[in-house]
This record gives sequence, C-alpha cells and structure tokens, in this order.
Amino acid sequence: MALSLGGLARAADSDGSDAAALKEIRSEMRQLREERKRDREVIRSLEVKVQQLETKDSRVETTTQQLQSTDQKLKETTLELQQTNAQVKTLQTKVDAPIASSQFGDAFESYLGARRFVVTGTFQGSFQYDKATATNTFTLNWTPQINYELNKWTYFVGQLSGSIGANGASTFSMPVASVMMFLNDYMELYAGIFDNPFGNWYEDRSASWVNRFATAPLPFDGEPVGPPTDVGAQLRGGYQWGDLGQDVDYTVWASNGPSYDASLPQAVIGQTLNAFNGVTLNTNGKAGGARFRLYPIPLSAEWGRLQLAATTLNGKWQNNLWYNAWGVNLEYQKDALAVYGSWLSAYRQMPEGTPVGHDNRQGWYLEVDYALNQLAAKMTMLPNPVEQFVGRMLAGVRYSGVNQRAIVASEINTTPAPGFNGSLSIFSPHAREVATLLDYYFSPSIVWQNELDFELPQDGGSLVTFGGPGGAPLYTPFGTVHNDRTFITQLTVGF
Amino acid sequence: MKKLANALILVAVIMPMVAGTCFAQEAASQKEKAQLFRKGAQLWPVYCAQCHSPRPPGDYASYQWDILLAHMRTLGNIPASDANAIMAFLKGGS
Repeated sequence: MALSLGGLARAADSDGSDAAALKEIRSEMRQLREERKRDREVIRSLEVKVQQLETKDSRVETTTQQLQSTDQKLKETTLELQQTNAQVKTLQTKVDAPIASSQFGDAFESYLGARRFVVTGTFQGSFQYDKATATNTFTLNWTPQINYELNKWTYFVGQLSGSIGANGASTFSMPVASVMMFLNDYMELYAGIFDNPFGNWYEDRSASWVNRFATAPLPFDGEPVGPPTDVGAQLRGGYQWGDLGQDVDYTVWASNGPSYDASLPQAVIGQTLNAFNGVTLNTNGKAGGARFRLYPIPLSAEWGRLQLAATTLNGKWQNNLWYNAWGVNLEYQKDALAVYGSWLSAYRQMPEGTPVGHDNRQGWYLEVDYALNQLAAKMTMLPNPVEQFVGRMLAGVRYSGVNQRAIVASEINTTPAPGFNGSLSIFSPHAREVATLLDYYFSPSIVWQNELDFELPQDGGSLVTFGGPGGAPLYTPFGTVHNDRTFITQLTVGF
Repeated sequence: MKKLANALILVAVIMPMVAGTCFAQEAASQKEKAQLFRKGAQLWPVYCAQCHSPRPPGDYASYQWDILLAHMRTLGNIPASDANAIMAFLKGGS
C-alpha cells in the first residue's frame, strides 16, 4: 500500500508517466486481489483441516475413555477371580478332609432336607394245627410300613402286606395308606385308608408283635362285627384334664362305611363284612363314627392305667339301608398285669322281603395277660438261667364270642392264614373261644408266641344257602355245632 | 354329609394358620430340659405299655423317633405336652 501511495505521488508530478503508473497500479491491485483470494482459499483449507483434526481428537478422547472403563472392569474381574479361587481352595480343603462318622448323619439329613423315611413293620411266621380238620400248615406274613415325614406336622404312613396263601398263591394288600397332619396341640387330621377306630383293637392292637396272641379275638376275626378298615377322614386329639395321666381323647370320622361280601347273589343275614374297604366297594351311603376315651387315674396314685371308652359307627351300607353299631371298651395295666375287654353290637337293616328280619350281631372279648418277670424275681430258689428264662415269659387267657343270626355257607373258610387258625367252629352263629397263650420275649418286639385255642360254639341260628327257587336264599337251622382245638406257634418280629 | 364336607374344607383352610404351633420347640433351660426328660421317663413305660412292650430309646436313632413318636401320638391320641416329654426321653437316650 505504501508503494501505491508513492506511485500516485510520482504520477501527480509527471503527466507522461501517469498512464503507465496507473496501469502499474492496476496490475499491482490485481495481483493483490489474487493474493487475497489465494490466502482465503488457504485459510479455508486450513479451517477444514482444523475441523477434521478436532473431530479426530474427539474420537480419540472417546476411545480413551472407553479404554479406561474397560481397564477398570478388567481390574474388578481379576479381583473377583482371585476371591473365587480362594473360595475354591477353601472348599477343596474341606472336601479333601475325611468326614467324621458323627457328621455323616447331619450331612445326609441336610441333603434330604426335612423329608425323612423310616421303615418299620412286622414279620410273622407260624405253624398251625387244627384238630377238627386235621390240617397243619406253615404260614408267613411280611408287612413293611413306610413312614415318611414331610415336615414337623405332616407325615405319611403306608403298609404293604404280603402273605403265603392257599395253594401256593400269595396275597398282597395295602391295609393302611394315610396322611396325618397335626393342626394344633389338640387337633389332628388323619385321612386315607386306615384301621377302623371303631373299638380299639384294629387300630391299637392288631399288629402281630403288639397282639400278645397269634389270633384276633372273635369279634375281630373271621366274622367281624365292624369293618376292619375304612376309607375317609378323621379328626382326633387328646387333652390332659387333671393331673399327669388323667387324659381324655376323641376321634371322629367320616368314611365310606361298611361293605359286605359282593360275591353273593344278593344281600343276606350273616353276610361277612369286607376286610378291606375301598373306593369301588361302597360308593353309596357314607358313614360317620366317633370314639371317646377317658383315663381317670392319675399316675401319682400308682393304681395303674385305666381306660374307659365308648364308640359308635353309623351310616348306610347300601342306599336307604342303615348300619348302626356301638361299643364300649375297657383297658387296664398295672405292673405285670394287663386287662383288655370290648363289647360291640351292630344292627344292619335288610332289604324288604328278607324272610327273617334284620341282621344283628354282637361280639365281646376279655383278655388277661400277666408277665412272669416279677414272679421270676421272687423265685430265688431257681438257678439264675432258669429265672432269666421264666422272666422273659408272659402268660395269658382270652375269652371271646360272637352272636349272630346266621352263617352263610359259601363264606365258611377253613384255610389257615396268618392270625387265623382256620377252625370250622368259628363259623357258627354263636361262636365262643377260650384262648390261652405262653409267650417268650427275646426282646420287646421279638416274640415267640404259643397259643392253644378251645373253640366252644353254642347251638342255634341259621345256615344260609342259595338253594331256593331260582337261587333264592334259603335259611335252614344251623344244626349241630362241634367243639374244636387248635394250636399255633409263631415267631413275630416288630422292626 | 354336605355339612361334614364343609367342615372338612374349613379345617383345610385354617390348617396352615394354626399348624405352626405344633411341636413348638422352645428354648428351654437345662433345668427345664431335665424336668422334661424326667417326665418323659415317667410316662414312657405307662403310655407305651397300654398297647405293646415299650421300645427302648436305643432301638432307633434320634431323627427316627421324630416320625415314629408322631405316629404313636396319633394312634394313642397322646396329649401334645406328654408326647413332647416322651420324645425328650427317647431322644435323650438314643
């Protein structure tokens, strides 16, 4: 610019050189414009490069942050791995160490949680002889019971019973399959297939090692007064109403009720109750039962343990046809003495047209057992081994009977079975039995039982056959009854 | 029968609410435990002998007595406090 101003000054001084100077100035100006243009392009180019560099820098910064984050995660993962390795080493040390036997139970229990199995049950093998039929045979029964505890207030019990039967055949049954739930201290729910609480015998004393005798009393034997098992639900519980030992308990239940031998052409008086109740046996009327037991003597009195009980079972055995039963029960134990007794009565309404009225049945038994251990202790004159032998013995006598109006000829069964002596005399309308026993206890639940039975039936009653017109039932006088004797020796084990 | 069915349903409904109280394990002092053990030892021969020869504590392991005595409590309708005492005795000697 200074050169340009200098040029203008010289032009004013010299007219001749004005045009040339002007031309030169214009040329310089043109050059200057072109230079400015080039400069702008250079600046624009540089600005673009700067923007590109700024963009690259931003990307580099983002990448750097990502790398830092990844690095942090790697550090954390490495730390976790180190901790895991330490734990694995600790566990490996524990696994390598041998487990103590005292710890195995806890470990196994822990593995199974609170759910636990216990298998109990009975085994019985016997030799039986019946004088009247001159038969002798061995019998065998094995009844494992599976107890399964779900939790502290719920458990299951199931029995599977297998016996050697007639003609080499074996019989199997499931007499008990139940669930029990303790609802509170005074109430328990018991549902499934169960031994009938009607009377005490089926529920409390029918297990072979529990029953002192090898056979059942007559009201619970071949011609029972009440159904031995049932399907339904019970509500039960006990309560101490006075001093220690003074209790009362209750059992109420709803069930399928009694069912009778379905193999007969039609219902008749004297028809046998089914031993095992089930869904298909009785789906018509239902039944309800109750049992109340009282223990009046406190333990502190030292007068022994007395139980007084009453029981009832009522329902429909068929649509519109009633079954009503009731009974009383007595039990008493003091030291070596034990007494058991029951009286049971049942009424069964028969269909219209039955010629001789309705079906009535009564049964009773009284049993007295005496353990010889206290007696043996007093026999000081005996050598020690003899005293010990006698001290393991228990003697007993039992009187039982059943009264009913008739016996069905086709239901008479003289085939011996575990717990059944096979005597023909049991199938009499007025059966009576005196049973004696001498037991030897190897341990509290391993018993050698020796039972001699005197069957002493009384006259009276009818025999039912289906020999009438068109197979109609025919009731004829039963005729002469015969006494009989049977002997059973049996080893029974409760495990 | 319908009333009975309703009653059973009612029981099933209230059952979970009250079940937690069963077999309550209270933290007992050593003295209380000893008293419970003595009570169990007194009841064991009497209650068990009602039906059968009493099984000694050593016949079963401690955890087995849990379920076996539960079944005996059912069949005998034994009051809960008495059953707990017998349990203490049997487990103490098993």
